[in-house]
Amino acid sequence: MIQIPDLATGGLAVGMLSALALGGGLLRAQRQQAKQRAEIAALRRQLDGALQAFTAEVEHLAARRVPAAARQLTHPHVAVPGPLHPQTARAPLGLALEHVLAGLHTELAAQRTRIDAAAQAGMRGATREIQAGLYRLQDALRGLQQKYDDPELTQTLFQLDHENEQSLRRAQVAAVVCGAWVGLAREESHLVDAVTGGQARLAGYHRVRVHNHLAAGTALVSHAVEPVAIIVAELLDNALRHSAPDTDVVVNLEHVHHGACVTVDDAGLGMTQDERARAQRLVAGSEPILLTELGDPPRMGLAAIGQLTRQFDLSVDVSSPSPYGGVRAVLRVDSRLLSRIDPDERPPAASAPRSTRTASRDEASLDSRVAASDGSRGEASSPSHGYGAEHDDDASGAASGHHAPRDAGGLPQRRRRAKVAGAASDVPAPRPAVRRPEQAAAALGALQAGTAAARSAADEPTGDASTAVPETAGAAPQRIEPAANDTDQTDHEGGTAR
Amino acid sequence: MTGRRGGRPLVPAYLSTGGVARPSRPHLERLSVLTGAGTPAPADLPAAQLALLDALDKGSLTVVEAAALLRLPVSAVRVLAAELIDRDLVLARAPIPPAGRFAPDLLKRVADGLRALKHN
Repeated sequence: MIQIPDLATGGLAVGMLSALALGGGLLRAQRQQAKQRAEIAALRRQLDGALQAFTAEVEHLAARRVPAAARQLTHPHVAVPGPLHPQTARAPLGLALEHVLAGLHTELAAQRTRIDAAAQAGMRGATREIQAGLYRLQDALRGLQQKYDDPELTQTLFQLDHENEQSLRRAQVAAVVCGAWVGLAREESHLVDAVTGGQARLAGYHRVRVHNHLAAGTALVSHAVEPVAIIVAELLDNALRHSAPDTDVVVNLEHVHHGACVTVDDAGLGMTQDERARAQRLVAGSEPILLTELGDPPRMGLAAIGQLTRQFDLSVDVSSPSPYGGVRAVLRVDSRLLSRIDPDERPPAASAPRSTRTASRDEASLDSRVAASDGSRGEASSPSHGYGAEHDDDASGAASGHHAPRDAGGLPQRRRRAKVAGAASDVPAPRPAVRRPEQAAAALGALQAGTAAARSAADEPTGDASTAVPETAGAAPQRIEPAANDTDQTDHEGGTAR
Repeated sequence: MTGRRGGRPLVPAYLSTGGVARPSRPHLERLSVLTGAGTPAPADLPAAQLALLDALDKGSLTVVEAAALLRLPVSAVRVLAAELIDRDLVLARAPIPPAGRFAPDLLKRVADGLRALKHN
């Protein structure tokens, strides 16, 4: 039988045990809770740290990396800084931020091209108008130059013409850089004319020495004339600008394999490696041109050359130093852009330097004679005004003091009078050294004496009459025939030509 | 002038004289007659002067004729010619004055008179 106290004791014991167990469990739970709280606090701190790091990273992106990336577009040497913490770069956050930068870069580049294209279009329109106006002004000035020959007026006209050429050059180059057409259609022209024309567009054209080693008649096809003139003008402008004012800029025109070369040498300081690389990149014309990349004020010369080389298949090289110390620029014109003009029929401009080749010149004139004799070309048979043409025409026109006026569009053309030496003799007749009035009188006297002698000895052939002239007329034998010819020709000419 | 060369000239006139428009001697006129002196051209002669000298190589030309031949304004040719005259490479003669030329009226009257005499 179980006693009540026993029961109570047992119940107490069980209660105490359970209380102990409960207390232990509670204690453990409390300890665990504290641990978890600490863990949570630690995690929260960590989260705060991560959030701060994230915020700092984004702030860093906004404050440093985005502006740098934007600036890098225009200034490639600017380095975009990495993330604040190097370990972020490998994290997904770093990659996401890189994507932000890449997207920004693409969008900015597109925007920049769009804005630049708009600026170029605006400038193209403006310069085209200016260019057309300047051409009209040029026409007016040239008309005045032909019309008036008062020296003072002409001096002003020459100055205005030169100023106009320079303005024209600037307008044209700006238009070309902005992607416009060169603005002027020219006909097929001598290469040396294009080079000399380019030279004339510069303020310092006095310092340019052109040496022409091309065969006479080397010409450019019509669409290449103006581009070559522009390129030469810009190369010369660079050369003149970067060399001392008392030095010359030397231009050489030479034939090369498959074309012709225009070499521009200056005796300036030359370019550094960087400048040279930049210049070569620009003139190569391989990249599209942005106005904003050309500086302020924009330096358009090389960019214009780049545009033209790309459009017209010309090539320009500025990568080699000149033996004169400065820069050597070489423009190569492919033979596809070259043609031939008969130099007798259409000689180059009077101011263009003469070719140093003489052998090929004779060959060229021979060609022209063949072309003129078969008469297949209408132009070739007309008498030329070329100063190179005289050697050919003298043979046919030897019978009279004048060249026979052949038909050119139905109009007789006056040729200048050539002195005719003994037509049959192959030996070139000695020229009268100077033709002074006294000598002319002596020649006429000799004519009279000769005629009188011939009349007195009527059986003698008239050809020998000239041998009977007095000794006083030194140049008489050669002079009689032209003089006799002249007497009947002068009537038609009004006596002004001699 | 002949219409063979269309378009504008590539090389402006001022280049021929180096921008100078005042001739060193003022008396050259449009119809002054230029004659080459026959001495060989020195090597340092500017291109345009050489071209003018070449044009005068075998005869004489008036200033206007030379200008037309070289396709330059008369004023430029006067400068070129004056420089060549200064270097004794070219001789110039004054134009024949109008008084020295034939008077067509007088000649016609003489011819008419002669014809009248012949018929009488």
